[in-house]
Amino acid sequence: VAVLLAGVVALNVAVLRLNVRFEELGKERAKLRAENAELASQIATRAASARIHTLARGRGLVPAGPDQWTYLDLRRESR
Amino acid sequence: LRLANRRIRLLLAVFVFAFAALFLRAAWLQGVRAQDLGRLAQSQHRATVVDPGGRGTIYDRAGVQLAIGRQATTIYANPRQIHDPRAVALAAGKTLRLDPADLYPLLADRSRGFVYLARKADPKRAKLLERQQILGLGFVPEEQRVYPQGRVAAHVLGYAGTDNRGLAGLELAIDETLRGRPGRQTIVRDPSGRAIEVISSTAAEEGHDVYLTIDHTLQANAETVLRATVKRWQAKGASAVVLDPRTGGILAMAVERGYDANRYPEASRDLQRNRAVTDTYEPGSTFKVVTVSAVLSERLVSPNTAFTLPYEINVADRVIHDAHPRGTERMTVDEIISRSSNVGTITLAQLLGTHRLADWVERFGFGQKSGIDFPGETRGIVPPLERWSGSTIGTLPIGHGIAVTPVQMAAAYAAVANEGVWLRPHLVERIGAEDRPSVAARRVLSRPVARQVMSMMRDVVVEGTGQEAALPGYQVAGKTGTAAKPDPDGGYSTSRYVASFVGVVPATAPRLVVLVTVDEPQGAIWGGVIAAPAFQDIARFGLQYLEIPPDAPHTLTDRD
Repeated sequence: VAVLLAGVVALNVAVLRLNVRFEELGKERAKLRAENAELASQIATRAASARIHTLARGRGLVPAGPDQWTYLDLRRESR
Repeated sequence: LRLANRRIRLLLAVFVFAFAALFLRAAWLQGVRAQDLGRLAQSQHRATVVDPGGRGTIYDRAGVQLAIGRQATTIYANPRQIHDPRAVALAAGKTLRLDPADLYPLLADRSRGFVYLARKADPKRAKLLERQQILGLGFVPEEQRVYPQGRVAAHVLGYAGTDNRGLAGLELAIDETLRGRPGRQTIVRDPSGRAIEVISSTAAEEGHDVYLTIDHTLQANAETVLRATVKRWQAKGASAVVLDPRTGGILAMAVERGYDANRYPEASRDLQRNRAVTDTYEPGSTFKVVTVSAVLSERLVSPNTAFTLPYEINVADRVIHDAHPRGTERMTVDEIISRSSNVGTITLAQLLGTHRLADWVERFGFGQKSGIDFPGETRGIVPPLERWSGSTIGTLPIGHGIAVTPVQMAAAYAAVANEGVWLRPHLVERIGAEDRPSVAARRVLSRPVARQVMSMMRDVVVEGTGQEAALPGYQVAGKTGTAAKPDPDGGYSTSRYVASFVGVVPATAPRLVVLVTVDEPQGAIWGGVIAAPAFQDIARFGLQYLEIPPDAPHTLTDRD
């Protein structure tokens, strides 16, 4: 009977520990999700094309004009 | 001994009484009060934790986030637990950068047990306040919707409100798709607040991610061009639609003046409207393409059929003339379009007759919703045939007495560019990993007629009213439009105009349809002067960005 009781107690303690761990993991998951969302938001904000254009203009860069582009027709070249 | 027996009996009586009292108390607690006490215990030990399913992210066609969820913290207070509202207001105000004068009345109101101090505050500042361990303050993590691109595509995206529900734009239109399903977990806590038992658990479902046809780079450029155009011409506003005629997908839909979706409460309702879908305008000469497509389709004329056209024409009680004074001339159908002759177009419409003209207007999708996946689309105004007056055959073919949306007009031109097949314009490319849904399509013009119309529109840019839209290296097809705005008291304004241009590039293998409308420009009124250069800027950038090879390389300037 004593062994049985000790087993029941041990089982309950194990369940308690698992529940505590479960809650901790849940909190960590929520924290990681929040951090992930924050980082995604920062990446998106920093990669915003309007921001990059403004920064580029500030450094004296201008978009390439149509006469500064060249298209190569590889099919024609290979013939 | 007798005395001892009496004491034992007394003790027994005391025990019996005590046990009886305990038994009655136990019976009272276990039997009568059991339910109440059970509930009380549950409320003290059990807690239901809600995990709000995150709202899906909105991406552009390149996978760049346009609308995402970010963690924020909501701070609430129980004024009944707050002993010194003034001190708490000062501490909270200082940490959260809020005015303590606004917080104090909330904290001092002891009639309420719950007040919000700040919804979706900066989590870092909220953490600082939480560390101060002020009794009566509570902290709840919440998702906040943010728009990393700021002003870019704000009219298209709309916004989600404080409760993370879509309130405008696509956020509203696809709210069900984006919205997650909250999960719930009922747990038992120990006195220190740790979960010791999970009684029930339902997992939260994240909302679906949505991919748009919009390209944020093209969108940003279109908005920049419109901003410059509005500034240059001191216009009331402007809109632009960039559409892929092969798919019906909208690559950019810009409205100026814009606003920042992150600060939507500061923008008026008027400013928030996506005018490209919800507002109509009289298209003027850009509508002539419909009339000419109709007469060609009905085989009443060919592009080379010539007409002798006076400067003005009588239609019922109206005298309608061309935009620029001229003598009587002979013009082919091609020239009628390239020179945007009102008299010529009306002459063609008279050949067509009212019934057939009305049919063709309907066939191109005017007067009915395009079906674009955006809320609040208007169908435009097309007078029903039975309400046409004698002069309608003179006004409607040249785009007056009819109101269309920019999206309807762009879709009509896209049909011509797509060899006569109209495709439903759309903004949502796909939801999550699902396949792209099929797009509603219908043939409007035969392939030969579509090609004839494209050829005529090329002449508009080469030698007609749209020369400002020409692009080195590319063949451009398009049509200018200049329409006086209706006056509220009847008739047409002599000072308020809508200048527009709709173009297709490269004309030989169309990839982009670009529509630009400029509302009430000052200093000039002509679509070819005001809207065509804006088209040119948008199209040039788009062609370069999408790496679309030139179809007329000989028109490029010589290089070293």
